[in-house]
Amino acid sequence: MLLSFAIWLQRRELFEFLRDSSHGYEIILSLHLACISLFAATVVVSDLRLLGWGMRGESMSAIVRQLRMPKRIGFVLTATCGVLLFGMKAEEYYYNVFFRVKILLFALVAIHALAFRRSVYGEDAGLDRLTRPPRRARLAAALSLLLWLCIVCAGRGIGYIPPPPFTHHFTASTAAN
Amino acid sequence: MLIENPLNSSEWSFPILELFHITGFAVAIGTVALVDFRVLGVGLRDQTPGQLTRNTSLLTAVSLSIAVFSGLLLFSTDPDKYYLNLAFLFKIVCLLLAIGFHYTIHRKIIFSAASLPAAKLVALVSLALWVSVIFGGIFISFVSEGLTFG
Repeated sequence: MLLSFAIWLQRRELFEFLRDSSHGYEIILSLHLACISLFAATVVVSDLRLLGWGMRGESMSAIVRQLRMPKRIGFVLTATCGVLLFGMKAEEYYYNVFFRVKILLFALVAIHALAFRRSVYGEDAGLDRLTRPPRRARLAAALSLLLWLCIVCAGRGIGYIPPPPFTHHFTASTAAN
Repeated sequence: MLIENPLNSSEWSFPILELFHITGFAVAIGTVALVDFRVLGVGLRDQTPGQLTRNTSLLTAVSLSIAVFSGLLLFSTDPDKYYLNLAFLFKIVCLLLAIGFHYTIHRKIIFSAASLPAAKLVALVSLALWVSVIFGGIFISFVSEGLTFG
């Protein structure tokens, strides 16, 4: 069922157009990486503060609050590029084990966000009561950094697996990557 | 006397180096972008650009060093391929310009005159240079050998 959805998706006009363009995939991939840079910085800076390792001049709640919107914007931009990339070669991604692992890790990230929403990322003032970051905040930050690092690994791994030759829209140019 | 590059004897060394490279430049460029966006008036408005730079400069320097060092090691695995690649040359030129610009004009403007309209131009140039480095890097694997030995 997922496979037929992937094949249906990559036949949409938008993705046909992007595939036929001369450098569409590379440009969107570069934008994806640029947005990853922005998003990674927001995650790293706020998580380092929650671990007590960086920007100790500012309070934890201030950092978390101020970086909330940049984090969301960075994520939305990166995910948009990701969806465009996926649509261009959906069938190939379906067969790619690193892509599947990446999606699984996103599910874990969502669970992480929900689990720590009330106590760490939402509850601003409560964080600053102690001089040392509370244990829950440090756990949340450490897990967050680990999960996102694994997502970067899985994402890079995607490009290392050649597409299966029986996929539709398999071309020599995708094999060259 | 032919010395074989030890990085080429294992097929895991390149991917692992790449991951250091990617995380390194992602954090480095991201922190620079955070400051640049602050100069442009977006996000993290509680701090001045100068304070923000002071708070993130160590992170930027360390992650940039990781990115450059891993980049040198990556280059060493196949120097000919990279040297002859136009995208790689473009990337290195942009990288040198970006680093030079960052630690001279950019730093001066951030710490002295961040509220001037000229500061916004400096921030845009900085962002453009760093994004060009990323684009150059991605296009390396999509550009075939563009130069030949003379």
